Amino acid sequence: MEDVLTEIPPPSRFFQEDLNNFTPPLPPLPSPFLLFSNPKLDAPLRPTLLIVAISSPSLFVFHHLSSKTLIGSLILPEIPFSGNSIEPSLTDKSCNIYAVNDVDGRILVVSVQCSVAAERSHAVAKVLIGEEIIPERVLILDSIQNRNFRGKLPPDETFAFKLETSAARKEGPSLLKDVDYFPSGSMVDGLPAALLSRCQLKNIKGTLCVSWPEFGGSAVPFIQSLLQKNVLPGMDFGLNNGEDGYSWFSQNRNRPFDSELYT
Amino acid sequence: MVNQTVSLIIIHAALETDSSKGMEDITPALSIGNVGQLAVDLLVSSTGAETVGYLDDQFVLPCVGNDAYRPSPRGDLALPLQAYESSSSGLTLIQQRSPVVKGMMVEYAKNLADFAAASGNKHVVVLSALDFGRLQRIDMSSEPCIFKMSYVSFLGHFSGPQIYYLSSTSVNGTDDYCEQLGWKRLQEYHPAQRGWKYLSSLAEGDVGDENNFAFEDDLEEEDYYPSLPFAALFSCFKARGLKVTCLLCYCSEGDNMADAFNLADAACKFLRLNPDNVRGDDAEKWTVPFSWMTVYGPPPDMSMF
Repeated sequence: MEDVLTEIPPPSRFFQEDLNNFTPPLPPLPSPFLLFSNPKLDAPLRPTLLIVAISSPSLFVFHHLSSKTLIGSLILPEIPFSGNSIEPSLTDKSCNIYAVNDVDGRILVVSVQCSVAAERSHAVAKVLIGEEIIPERVLILDSIQNRNFRGKLPPDETFAFKLETSAARKEGPSLLKDVDYFPSGSMVDGLPAALLSRCQLKNIKGTLCVSWPEFGGSAVPFIQSLLQKNVLPGMDFGLNNGEDGYSWFSQNRNRPFDSELYT
Repeated sequence: MVNQTVSLIIIHAALETDSSKGMEDITPALSIGNVGQLAVDLLVSSTGAETVGYLDDQFVLPCVGNDAYRPSPRGDLALPLQAYESSSSGLTLIQQRSPVVKGMMVEYAKNLADFAAASGNKHVVVLSALDFGRLQRIDMSSEPCIFKMSYVSFLGHFSGPQIYYLSSTSVNGTDDYCEQLGWKRLQEYHPAQRGWKYLSSLAEGDVGDENNFAFEDDLEEEDYYPSLPFAALFSCFKARGLKVTCLLCYCSEGDNMADAFNLADAACKFLRLNPDNVRGDDAEKWTVPFSWMTVYGPPPDMSMF
């Protein structure tokens, strides 16, 4: 173990390669793309609302929503299909796209069940918003990122914050009117940031909701309540006893070790 | 990889009337201590500059937050590349809030330079910092910075650490005005040195086989300064025919707010900004950005005492 008193400290908060013009670039990857089960769908799709579920609680909630139809998938070529099941499962590494049934308007849900690298997020956001899918409004559901949050995150409390695009704020009452704005000084990075940035740049009404805790059981009913109150009024998510299943799901999703060798 | 030009998404009518033309640009370069970025934060906050647009570049990693400057944030988004304008100061400030995708620093610099050239800006000032550990290793005896800090501490005064600069106005990087201000030209700038030469070739889009830099070889000591982000911006802005001045200070990693004040102050002096246009609360010179209040995280839980 290094002696913190005598060892030379790291030179920067950045890795050396982050500050080096001569660092070789990463090998290029094929672009992500959308695949729809019905190739005759009118393109581009124009949903009234596009919901992107990224956090574990939101993925769990929408997985149990029975009134939805799988219409397609976002394919990331770097994510292998091995281990995925035929029927959508919470353990799949996938980005399935669903149409929500029995609602006014067209609502799509994207369940992001795989890790999207930060450097891929821009490309994924571009595919999901503004080209083949042009939503009127976007809602992104993720968890507060502990490493980027400067406030307190008590493990026994459940809460959420939001960030909105200029278009969403100009419109009038917020989509999540009882949720406070994300405190200044804290940041969100990765895919949720890329999605909201894309909405801002495309002048689309976009809302990012980040909730806490990331894996605790209290987050599921919290998210469900938030959605029923503000986004999908009266929707039955079929989660009367959902917390048991969520404990198993969140424990497995939180595994630090995730190898493609074991499927 | 296909080069994608930075596009500026205009959200403010002022830019559509070309009000940015002729203005001076200030932009940070990533560095140890994030000093350039902190300095731009100070300048935006203290000049009351307003957001005029966002830049979209695939080579900057995504991030998003609430307004970094107002004491009561209204919910205005802070994005990775954001343009601010202070019409009273004649300044456009571009803030960069997140790192560049690994290996794409020069591509990012080219995109930013293309944008600056297309915007009609004539002069770009790049704010950045250098590793103080490097300075000690290179030449302790000529270190006016260490001596000056010790000396002025003894006197009870503080005039700020030495500012170094690099200018495109002459081949060797010197600038008479910067010299008059008491700043030192970056001595490690040698246009004929392989690293600087290669960077210049990349910036001009002229990289033949004979110019290939051997990435697989270990970089030598002399390759360190041209490897830094400020050097990429300097080379790319220069290649686009823009006047570019890099203002640099040496620092260590840690609480770098003092370094940011020093660098922002240097930028104000260099650009001859009217002190009335850079005014904080209670006639203090600077308005500390609201987001700096939580830089060390939340206060301790007092209930445990």
